[in-house]
Amino acid sequence: MSSEKPGKPGGDRSYKRSWKNLLINKRYQLRFTLFMVGVTSLLMVGLGFWVMRVANETTTVSKASVRGEACPQVPVLGDAARGHDDDDPPPPVPSMKLDEVPDGPTGDTPSPAAAPVEPAPAAEGSAPSAAPAAPLTDKAAAALPTGKADAPPTSTVDAAGKAGSSPADEPRHVTVQIDESSMTLTATVPPDFGARVVAHWICEIRQAGTFERLERGRARILWAMIVTGVLLVLGLAVYGLKMTHRVAGPLFKVGLYLSKMRAGRFDKVYNLRKGDQLVEFYDHFKLAHGGVVAMQQADITRLAAVIAAAEAAGAGQHPAVAELRELLSRKEKSIE
Amino acid sequence: MSDPTSIGLPDALRPKHHRKLSNYMLDKNLQLRYVLLVTLLSAGIAGALGYMIYDQRRTASESIERDLQVLTQSNAGDQEFQDHVSNGLQSDDQLLVYKMVAVGLGLVIILSAYLVIMTHKVAGPLFKISMYFDRMAAGRLGAVTPLRRGDMLQDFFSDFKDMHEALRARASADLAAMERAASSLRDTRNQADYRGEAQGKLDDALDALDHHLADRKKQLA
Repeated sequence: MSSEKPGKPGGDRSYKRSWKNLLINKRYQLRFTLFMVGVTSLLMVGLGFWVMRVANETTTVSKASVRGEACPQVPVLGDAARGHDDDDPPPPVPSMKLDEVPDGPTGDTPSPAAAPVEPAPAAEGSAPSAAPAAPLTDKAAAALPTGKADAPPTSTVDAAGKAGSSPADEPRHVTVQIDESSMTLTATVPPDFGARVVAHWICEIRQAGTFERLERGRARILWAMIVTGVLLVLGLAVYGLKMTHRVAGPLFKVGLYLSKMRAGRFDKVYNLRKGDQLVEFYDHFKLAHGGVVAMQQADITRLAAVIAAAEAAGAGQHPAVAELRELLSRKEKSIE
Repeated sequence: MSDPTSIGLPDALRPKHHRKLSNYMLDKNLQLRYVLLVTLLSAGIAGALGYMIYDQRRTASESIERDLQVLTQSNAGDQEFQDHVSNGLQSDDQLLVYKMVAVGLGLVIILSAYLVIMTHKVAGPLFKISMYFDRMAAGRLGAVTPLRRGDMLQDFFSDFKDMHEALRARASADLAAMERAASSLRDTRNQADYRGEAQGKLDDALDALDHHLADRKKQLA
C-alpha cells in the first residue's frame, strides 16, 4: 500500500492500486472471497453432477431410440440364388415316388410305370420338366441347359420290359442306377441386391454417426461446465479480492492514521481513493481526528495564555512555566 | 440500535447486547453489495444449470414419447397407453422444474440470510467504531468496551482501542501536568511579588485554565 506523504493541499492525491498490495487484510479478504468462491464451486460441482447424470440418461435414451430404428438387412447371397425372398413360397418338394406325375408342362404323358424320376430343381430358370417321358439321362441334360450342367449322363434307368409289356403283367419294381455326377451352380444376383446393401450400410453409418454426435454432445456439456466453472472460480477469486480490497484499503489507511495518533501525531488526513468503500466510516474518522486536533488546539490556546501571563507577571523562569512550555511545544508539534 | 459504546457499569454487570434482526443491516451499501453479488451469482449459476438439467430431461422425455408413438401407431388401442405415458413424463418434468425452483429459492433465501449475518460481523464493529469516532469528534474520550464475540475486524478494533487508550492516557497526563503547573503558579503567586496588572491577567489565565481542565476531566470520565 502506498505510504502517506503530504502532497497537494486539497488532500485528493490519487494513488494507483497495485496488484502486489491487493491482499492487505488477509483474514477479512480471504474469508469473504473464499466463501464466495466456495459457494460457487459447490453449486457448479453439485449441479454439474446433476446435469451430467441427466445428460447421460438422455444420451442413453437417444441411443436406444436410434437403435430401435432397424436398418434393412443385407440380403444373403444364398437366398438370392434360390431366386426368392423370404416371403416367397418354398419350392415344391419333389416326390420320391416314381409313379407320381409331377406338375408342369407335359406333352405326352407316359404310363405310370414308365414315368421317369424327376430331379430336384437346380436353379431358377432351369426347365425341370422339359421332357418328362425321356430317360433320366436326357432329362438331366435338358434340365441343366446352357452349359450349366455339363455333366455326363447322370443316371440310367433300366426299366426292364417297360415298352410293350402290360403293366398288369410286369412287376412294379424297377431298378434305378445312379451314376456319379457333378453339378455347378452359379448364383443369380437379384436386381435390387446392390441397392439393399447400400441402404443397409447407409443406415448403419448414419446410426454410428448419430451415436458419435450424441457422445460428442455429452462431452461438450461436460467440458463446457468444467471450463465455465474454472473460469468462474478464477474470475470470482480475483474480483472478490479486488472488491474486498476496496473495504480493506480504507481500513488500512485508517489503521495508519490510528498508529500516528497513538504516537501523538495528528497529521493532515487525506481523502480516500476513487472507488473505495467505507466512505461514511472514513468521514466519521475524519471528524474524530478533527475533534482530537481541536482538543490539542484548545490546550495550546490555554497553555499559551497562561505562559504569556506568567511571563508578563515575571514568573517566566518558574519551573511550572517551563513544564508548560514543554507541553505547549509538544502539542504544537503534534498538529503540524 | 442501542449504543454499543455505552459505559457506566463494569464489564461483568453491563447488559450483553444481543443482535436484533432489525439491526442486521447496519451498512446497507457495504452489506447489500456483497449479499447481492453472491446471491445473484448463485442464482445465475443455479438457473443456468437448472435449465440445462430441464432441457436434457425434456429431450429424453420427447425421445421416449416419439419412440412410443412409432411403436403404438399401428394399434389405436395403444393410444391411451401412449397418452398416459406422455402425461406421466410431462408431469415428471414439471415436477422437476418445481423442485428446482423451490431448491433455488431456498438456496437464495438461506444464502442471503447467512450473508447478511456474515457482513453484519464486519459492519457491526465499523458501526461501533464510528460511534466512538463521533464521541471523539465531540472531544469525549471515554472508556472503550470490547467487541462482541464472533465479530470480525478484531485486529482493526484492537488498533483503534490502543490509539484511544493512548490518547486518553496522554490527555490524562497532560491534564495532571497542567493542574500541577496551575497549582504551582497559584502557590508562587501568593508568595512572590507579582506586578499588579500582570497579576490580574495571570489570575484570569489560571481561572480559564481551571475551567478548561474541569471540562477536560468531564470528557475523560
